[in-house]
Amino acid sequence: MNYTIPTVDWSLVLPFALVALTGIVALIIETAHPKRDNGLIIGVSLTGLAATFVLLLTQLVLPPARTFGNMVLRDQFSVLLQLICVAATAVCFMFSDGYLREKKIAFGEFYPLTLWALSGAMVMVSTDNLLMLFVGLEILSIALYCLAGMSRSEARSEESALKYFLLGAFASAFLLYGIAFLFGASGSMSLPDIQKAVTGLTRDTLPMPVFGVMLVLVGLGFKASLVPFHQWTPDVYQGAPTNVTAFMAAVSKVAAFGALARVLVAAAPLHQYWFEALYWIAIATMCIGNLVALVQKDVKRALGYSSIAHAGYLLVALLAYTRDPDKVSLGTTVFYLIGYAAMTVGAFAVVSLAAKGDRDGSRYQDLHGLYRRAPFATVMLVLFLSSLIGIPPTVGFFGKQLIFLDALRTGLVPLAIVLAVNSAVSAYYYLQIMVAAFVSEEGAARPVSRKPGAGMTIGVCVCAAGVIFASLLGGYVQETTRTAALQAKPVPGRVQNQMEVINR
Amino acid sequence: MDTSAFNSVWWIFALPVFGFLWQCLAGKIVIDNLGDKLGKRIMGASAVLPIAAAFFIAVDLTGKLHSMPAESRSVVLTLFDWINIQSLHVPFEFRVDALSMMMVLIITGIGSLIHLYATGYMAEEKDYPRFFTYLNLFVAAMLVLVLGNNLVLTFIGWEGVGLCSYLLIGFWYKDVANSKAANKAFIVNRIGDFGFTIGMFLLIAQVTLDRNIIGITDPRWLSFDVLLPHADVLFKINPEITTMAALALFVGAMGKSAQFPLYLWLPDAMAGPTPVSALIHAATMVTSGVFLLNRMSPVFAAAPQAGAVIAIIGAATSLLGALIAFGQTDIKKVLAFSTVSQLGYMFIGCGVGAYWAGMFHVTTHAFFKALLFLGAGAVIHAMAHDQDMRNYGGLWKFLKITGATMLVGWAAIAGFPYLSGFFSKEEILGAAVNSDTVLHLGGYMWSTGQVAGWIGFVVAFLTAAYMTRMTLLTFFSGEGRWKTIAAGHGHDHDHEHGHHDAHAHAHHHEDPHGFFYSDAEMHARAVAEPHEHHHALDSHHVPKEVPPSMWMPLAVLAVLSLVGGAWLKYGVNLEHWLYPGAEAAEHAERVSHPMLLGISFTVFLAGVGFGFWKYAKGLPADEGWDLSLWKRWRTSAGRQFGIDAALTDGSLKGGAMLGAFLAGIDKWLIDGVVNASGRVAELAGGLLSRTQRGYVRGYALLMQAGVVALIFYVIYQLSHLGAGN
Repeated sequence: MNYTIPTVDWSLVLPFALVALTGIVALIIETAHPKRDNGLIIGVSLTGLAATFVLLLTQLVLPPARTFGNMVLRDQFSVLLQLICVAATAVCFMFSDGYLREKKIAFGEFYPLTLWALSGAMVMVSTDNLLMLFVGLEILSIALYCLAGMSRSEARSEESALKYFLLGAFASAFLLYGIAFLFGASGSMSLPDIQKAVTGLTRDTLPMPVFGVMLVLVGLGFKASLVPFHQWTPDVYQGAPTNVTAFMAAVSKVAAFGALARVLVAAAPLHQYWFEALYWIAIATMCIGNLVALVQKDVKRALGYSSIAHAGYLLVALLAYTRDPDKVSLGTTVFYLIGYAAMTVGAFAVVSLAAKGDRDGSRYQDLHGLYRRAPFATVMLVLFLSSLIGIPPTVGFFGKQLIFLDALRTGLVPLAIVLAVNSAVSAYYYLQIMVAAFVSEEGAARPVSRKPGAGMTIGVCVCAAGVIFASLLGGYVQETTRTAALQAKPVPGRVQNQMEVINR
Repeated sequence: MDTSAFNSVWWIFALPVFGFLWQCLAGKIVIDNLGDKLGKRIMGASAVLPIAAAFFIAVDLTGKLHSMPAESRSVVLTLFDWINIQSLHVPFEFRVDALSMMMVLIITGIGSLIHLYATGYMAEEKDYPRFFTYLNLFVAAMLVLVLGNNLVLTFIGWEGVGLCSYLLIGFWYKDVANSKAANKAFIVNRIGDFGFTIGMFLLIAQVTLDRNIIGITDPRWLSFDVLLPHADVLFKINPEITTMAALALFVGAMGKSAQFPLYLWLPDAMAGPTPVSALIHAATMVTSGVFLLNRMSPVFAAAPQAGAVIAIIGAATSLLGALIAFGQTDIKKVLAFSTVSQLGYMFIGCGVGAYWAGMFHVTTHAFFKALLFLGAGAVIHAMAHDQDMRNYGGLWKFLKITGATMLVGWAAIAGFPYLSGFFSKEEILGAAVNSDTVLHLGGYMWSTGQVAGWIGFVVAFLTAAYMTRMTLLTFFSGEGRWKTIAAGHGHDHDHEHGHHDAHAHAHHHEDPHGFFYSDAEMHARAVAEPHEHHHALDSHHVPKEVPPSMWMPLAVLAVLSLVGGAWLKYGVNLEHWLYPGAEAAEHAERVSHPMLLGISFTVFLAGVGFGFWKYAKGLPADEGWDLSLWKRWRTSAGRQFGIDAALTDGSLKGGAMLGAFLAGIDKWLIDGVVNASGRVAELAGGLLSRTQRGYVRGYALLMQAGVVALIFYVIYQLSHLGAGN
């Protein structure tokens, strides 16, 4: 047997290794001093995240590279997404301490578990190998199942964890099944290989890769909460502790869309077999997310549906890109994810202030009086919600504008219209949340809650800075991903597909 | 050309501005520190002086202008570049020419006389400096209006005088009626100003479209000295648009100069203090429409159809004003409608192309109408602020100076031969009856110019009659009728109640609010502190002659009313002075000059004779206190034939109906659609959320259904498309 041991470029795995190691150190500290002050754990975790962030920044300018036998990939796309995940996690940590104290959740494990979930998400976006992708997904998911059920005293938290676990397992089964199909069709788990293999298939060889792509999309669609695989989202977002929800909404979505982008790019040669399906899924996702959010009575639930709607917007960006990668850039998706992470984490951070005692007050009326209690955070909530609506000059506006223009440029006019109409519809429930936060009297059942701590203020400020200043990054992100997202270039064979022909 | 000799024109403008600033910034301090009497004397003097000084500068400038050759009597002075965009420069520039200086002389000359008069008339007023603040500001704005060398500057002055008019009509703002009169003036003028702007923009549009054809390269193309020389070519390219522009500008003039149907603010404007009525609502501001027509005469000359409309509207206005004057018992109202009527004359002149005659009448009218208003003010002053002529009578015995000067005014306006009014009226009517101004309408040609002229003669008769009525009822016609008033309560004043100057003098208390009162507040105040009729007119009243500061202006104006017309016609040769290029084209003289003179004499004698026959003996019973004895037409004239009510109510009710209609559309249609879409969205959301029942098995089922659907879709695609490549 003639096998050369591959050389390993450790710098590629260093970011998520660093995060995982930080998690281990944090756990050791927790075991040494169980259920004590978590200050040290937070300090260590934030230091580790900061180091990772800096490390990733240095890697942003490096050329794309692979290691571990092409199992790990580092390109600008992966680095940017990892940066988003790390920053979002750091903000979650900043406001978690106050929230966990308020809810009397004494688990120091929150921090190591979240760090490991983060490392899973980072793995997911740093590979174009389906096996690695699955491993990353499971690392992320299993940690999240535990985190969702962290609030032991609340039945809803337990329930959400179990629901998430059962449905997640169900979705994983589809994903694995799809991977198996694709492996069978191409003899490889590597997306570039699969892409090559599915180009130019005949009638007899087509079904297997097409079914494989479909099933993988089901698995990732679950993670990204696309309709009709979305129903876990509101339940879990509502039931999980708010800081976990924030993490889940941001990091989990970034990872899912990172993976989805790579899979769709690889599946571009089969464009004609899945495009229409995803087209309708995008419309359904946008509409159902927003319409159902209208009738919600619970802020976290409404934001859960909002995250479904935003998944729909993101899918539009991806569809526009896979339809015509020459005209539009994958940077739109990345840019929107930056903005989405900032505004969503920020919104959940402020909403977490509604918690009182050991229960999670998150109905609209639980927000009453928030402005009296935490004026700065509430004003920032207005900013985040404005961005979620898409009011200029926030990043939410520019992100939506980019998606809108991309859709128009690639001829997806109906999607652009649905997007615009949904933006208008969404204003209603976001404004409802704003109004609730400014209603002056606090409910009688709610004695005065804690004042927001410094961590909350800093975290909210970071998100606000993201919402306001990320707009400036638009051009840079577009340019970076365009020149450097090497693996995201679809093969040219797809011009022959029928939709294109019809459109000409 | 060296224009430095005319630089002092800036002082004409600056002096009233300084006066305004001085009055508003220092007035209260001076009066508070130096005491009421001395303080008022100082502030009064410092209000008159700038205007008088400006007048003397204007005299000097006019002299300089006169010494120049006729064709170059127009000097443009630029202060600073105001608007400067790519191809358009609008400097802040003044124009010194015969027309503007004539207006400046009227404004500053008569203005300073009226300022002087007002120092006496307003002596009891608490808000003394505020009055002169407004008055000086008015003079400054009026000067910008007449001196501005482009339409934009003219418009600034136009709006400025409108504002000052509003402020001064509502000077005694605590009386809600006065505030409402001020609002009415302001709102009606808005319509006119809208017309002005439309006219201005139509002209601008024409220039910008056709500038290259004409070859105007100067970026100051809005300035009169650049624009107007090209007018006869430029405005004949699109005659329809020029006619529209001319008519729109005329709408602006209608608003300011109280032409039918926008006249209805002017009678109400008499709510202001009498010097204001004399200066703004008789001598200067209301003539700015005539000034505009003169200034833009090349535009109107290019639009003969507009001229025909102007002439007939002027005639209608003058007839209407004269008729309504017969139904008035308030002396200021008579003069107000007389002003409306005389303004109509001026527009007849402008409409038939005798622009200079319009200006001539502006000037003579400024003399005798200012005189009459100030005289009326003196009478009102002497009669304890009662304005009802039915309470006057026999005042000649008490008010010799006022009476004598007012008699001159009466003679001048009635058309007594060879007094000032006679000449200007003669020029207008002569030009009108000989004019060939025709209106093409409905396939016919209507000689509106000649019709207007003949209507003018009818109005001349009416004018002589109603002015005789006013004069006799005030100064003669038996003994003083106020002696029959029982002490303590006056006659039942059944109309024009809250418009009396007297109301102001009941308010000698501090104003805690500073501005408007609502009706409810006014009522509350009235209950809390009843009106003090501390010097109401009653049978013990003895009229006293007014102080010199008030009768001296009367004397000056009387002299001007006597000889001003002859001097302007023969001494100055006004037509040549104003329009040196265009010597009077010889008309076909269908109606000869001597014949016109004959008609004029006849109508004057007839009018005056009718007046003496009816009013010499005393107050006729059919226009006395008992309104039921009034003839129907007179009652109707007293109510302005219902025009005011119809227009006011019509626009208010019409506006309210339109508003209600649009509100209905908004509520039912637009709100309906919006709300319905919201409902639909909510309903859909509610229905869709039903699918979310909280059971994991349900969620998994939906996922499964989705997968199955996808699989069917894929199978369909595979079988349908086959291998695409």
